[in-house]
Amino acid sequence: MEGRSYQRFPTVKIRELKNDYAKFELRDTDASIANALRRVMIAEVPTIAIDLVEIEVNSSVLNDEFIAHRLGLIPLTSERAMSMRFSRDCDACDGDGQCEYCSVEFHLRAKCLNDQTLDVTSRELISSDPSVVPVDFASPSSEYDNAENRGIMIVKLRRGQELRLRAIARKGIGKDHAKWSPAATVTFMYEPEIYINEDMMEKLTLEQRMSVVESSPTKVFDIDAKTGRVVVVDPEAYTYDDEVIKKCESLNAPGLVEVHPKEDSFIFTVESTGAIKASQLVLNAIDILKQKLDAVRLSEDTVEADEQFLELDAHMRGG
Amino acid sequence: MNAPDRYERFVVPEGVKKVSYERDTKIINAASFTVEREDHTIGNILRMQLHRDPDVLFAGYKLPHPLQYKIIVRIHTTSQSSPMQAYNQAVNDLDKELDHLKSAFEAELAKHSREY
Ligand SMILES: [Zn+2]
Repeated sequence: MEGRSYQRFPTVKIRELKNDYAKFELRDTDASIANALRRVMIAEVPTIAIDLVEIEVNSSVLNDEFIAHRLGLIPLTSERAMSMRFSRDCDACDGDGQCEYCSVEFHLRAKCLNDQTLDVTSRELISSDPSVVPVDFASPSSEYDNAENRGIMIVKLRRGQELRLRAIARKGIGKDHAKWSPAATVTFMYEPEIYINEDMMEKLTLEQRMSVVESSPTKVFDIDAKTGRVVVVDPEAYTYDDEVIKKCESLNAPGLVEVHPKEDSFIFTVESTGAIKASQLVLNAIDILKQKLDAVRLSEDTVEADEQFLELDAHMRGG
Repeated sequence: MNAPDRYERFVVPEGVKKVSYERDTKIINAASFTVEREDHTIGNILRMQLHRDPDVLFAGYKLPHPLQYKIIVRIHTTSQSSPMQAYNQAVNDLDKELDHLKSAFEAELAKHSREY
């Protein structure tokens, strides 16, 4: 028996898009979907990160586990991650890095031979897979300034010190360890609707109007130079701090300014670590959420067991 | 030392069902669904989608304990429907909503990349 559908049809408008940053409006859905997307982007979209380190030589000032931890936190380009296998699900290997389906191998060799301190950075990591490399913030495709960018610092070596290691990177999710999270920040806010009661505003002096404008800690309001009226210049700068509402009350004019959050409209900002593009992060989050929903469908045997239960129940009542 | 493994949070152990269903023994058309290795992400969207169904009299979920990696979704419906039917409908509607969202986002993305 098929029931009626109560599906919604959300709409999207992208405002700003860079490789590692996206700002968009999401409308005609509710906070549960917005929050599920945010949670999935942070904790369940997979990336690739170093997960196993075999140290051959380490005479640096940092101990082995300290270096292993630092290596884990280096973001690696992870376009491959969605189609890769988790090592624990991989039947082609035992997750030791010998298998191309679930692992990527890295090597690092560095030795300081003179009196100049040697900086060992993510650029020294040699990957076995050209598509999985440390995120390069200085590459021409990114918006960063090239001049001063020399990778992510791992350790500094003085004369005679050496670091030699083999590392295995694996697919993982932020829920397992934050090093696998592709999200630097993901936030959303309700779109505010700000209403100014013009009749009440008329009765205020210019000084009082200025105090209303200045009561907001963020630049939401301004005075129109021509008319002298209070106008909303940037509704989204409002942080739901209620300062302007309190100001109106203190001026004995409650309801002078009202702010209503639109509960079906959200403004998202997504910042990626660079492991995947911000736009891809959103798309992957939708795919992952769909996979999760698919996994929670009732199985055939659950439905059958219930039908048998019903028959038995009817039989018992009948008898 | 005796901390549970991190993967315990999202890997369903062997021999355990992802979703199990239990009818209420006293109230007709009421049931609980235990969903293993899921949290607020799934629990809350299911609950809110179930609230859109007028045949659903009650829908709620709980995460019983932060170290028990499961949620319990409780549904009570009118005689016009059943908890199982409402649950299936909610999952299907959410799935279709996400399909729609994906194509809407992709269309915006294509529009945006053409403009630059
Ligand atoms: Zn493998």
